[in-house]
Amino acid sequence: MLSADQQSTDSERPEAAALPIVLEGVEKFYGGMQAIAPVSLTLAGGEAVSIVGPSGCGKSTLMRLIAGLDQPSGGEIRIGETVVAAPVADMGIVFQRDLLLDWRNVLDNVLLPAEIKGLQGMTPRALELLRELDVADFAKSYPWQLSGGMRQRVAIARALLAHPGLIFLDEPFSALDALTRDQMNVLLQQVQASRNATTLLITHSISEAIFCADRVIVMSGRPGMILDDIRVPFERPRRLAIRETAEFTAIGRRIREHFERAGDLVG
Amino acid sequence: MNIDTQPLAVRNSRPKPNTQQTSVLDLAGGMLWPLLSGAIGLGLWEGMVRAFRVPVFMVPAPSQIVLTIMEHWQYLLTQLAITTFAAGLGLILAVTFGLLAGAAIAGSRLVDRMLTPWLVIAHAVPKVVIAPLFLVWFGFGLQSEVFFVVAFTFFPVIVNTVSGLKSADPEQLVMVRAMGATPAQTLRKIQFPSALPSICAGVKLAVTLAPVGAVIGEFVASNKGLGHLLIRAVGDMDTPLAFAAVTVFSIFGVLLWRAAEWVESRVLPWHPSQRASFLLRNAST
Repeated sequence: MLSADQQSTDSERPEAAALPIVLEGVEKFYGGMQAIAPVSLTLAGGEAVSIVGPSGCGKSTLMRLIAGLDQPSGGEIRIGETVVAAPVADMGIVFQRDLLLDWRNVLDNVLLPAEIKGLQGMTPRALELLRELDVADFAKSYPWQLSGGMRQRVAIARALLAHPGLIFLDEPFSALDALTRDQMNVLLQQVQASRNATTLLITHSISEAIFCADRVIVMSGRPGMILDDIRVPFERPRRLAIRETAEFTAIGRRIREHFERAGDLVG
Repeated sequence: MNIDTQPLAVRNSRPKPNTQQTSVLDLAGGMLWPLLSGAIGLGLWEGMVRAFRVPVFMVPAPSQIVLTIMEHWQYLLTQLAITTFAAGLGLILAVTFGLLAGAAIAGSRLVDRMLTPWLVIAHAVPKVVIAPLFLVWFGFGLQSEVFFVVAFTFFPVIVNTVSGLKSADPEQLVMVRAMGATPAQTLRKIQFPSALPSICAGVKLAVTLAPVGAVIGEFVASNKGLGHLLIRAVGDMDTPLAFAAVTVFSIFGVLLWRAAEWVESRVLPWHPSQRASFLLRNAST
């Protein structure tokens, strides 16, 4: 049952405005090694963008820079009007590993960001997200009692809890089996469609990059630089069947050709 | 959509009619063999002592020890309580100090560098040898005994606290930083719970070492407790009483270990060491 203080909630605050992200000449060095060559890129507010590239091309590093978890060696990143210099407040991140805390049940894991940000009365919101992601029945289960796909659903619910205006996903499904991954792709684009958030998906799967985004940025191997910027024309909601269409295959081929030219073939 | 929405726990929890029966048999089997070997050992002991007419002040027969325990049980329990009190007090101090020092060492490289070498040296000093010094420093009685228990038990708590606090998943630390966590929140929400299994292991060791420390403390600096009783019984050539004291002490040690394990299972139900039994119970379908 809800306690009195849970009745006055932060859970019903309006969706934050989706902010644009602007990168100007952003580069990153580790020691003497250039991880990312100067990158300039603009993500419109509410846009769903995926970055695809071979392993080690710096795409995860780029996401960490945008999220403010790491500082660029040169250039500037702005979210809305604000220059990023510290972890961005209005974001939810899903990592490759679900990073669920073993000692908390599913519901308490989802509520973690609310506890850290001091938001009150978020339990109904958390339960609603678990319902949306089809794991509400396991709100009281512990992470180790769930399968990999379910764990990642919980991680997504956790990222969405505080109505973030920015959603970052760093290879969130790469540890899942192919079938589960397909389900998660459908789920993710449903989640995107029902929210006004700027979404950045990092992936090394070409079909996932196309399926889940309005726009695909193709990155080269080290040092990471942008090879192509492709609009994805498909209407939402999307069904998995669009992956069989000629248009989808053509985009896939276009991306693969970049990697073939660069000698970085990915799956 | 529903392919992976059934958790392991549900998938594997179909009722199995024989589970209960098997576990009772397993338990009986688990107890049966050590009891049998114990009975054979005691029987041999009893037989040898009687056959070779070993003097009672050398080695008393098991039956003699049981009789002595039955005769002096109140006295033995009183002395055990005294020892337990000193051990408990010392343990509380050692755990408190160990946790604080461990947190300071894990949290600051400077403290780590300044303190750790000295703690290692302090631990390397054979404590039994310096036990008489405690008598000089803290006087005769409870105080000496308690400090001796602290000296005997603090090290595993510190070492395990440090390694536990340092073993938090780096990616989970990044995750809560991304959520905007303060260092205090990070400690409370991630580092401390991650460290709990290690801390429990350290405290469990300390729990079993504490009564040993108390007994050695009583050898030197007390006129009460099981340690003192033991020294006196040996001095009086009352070997059956000495054996009775050792027996009571050993049984108490086993019970203490069991109690520590039970507490651990309550504190860490989520830890792999605790859930292994759950998975094994349910995995055979």
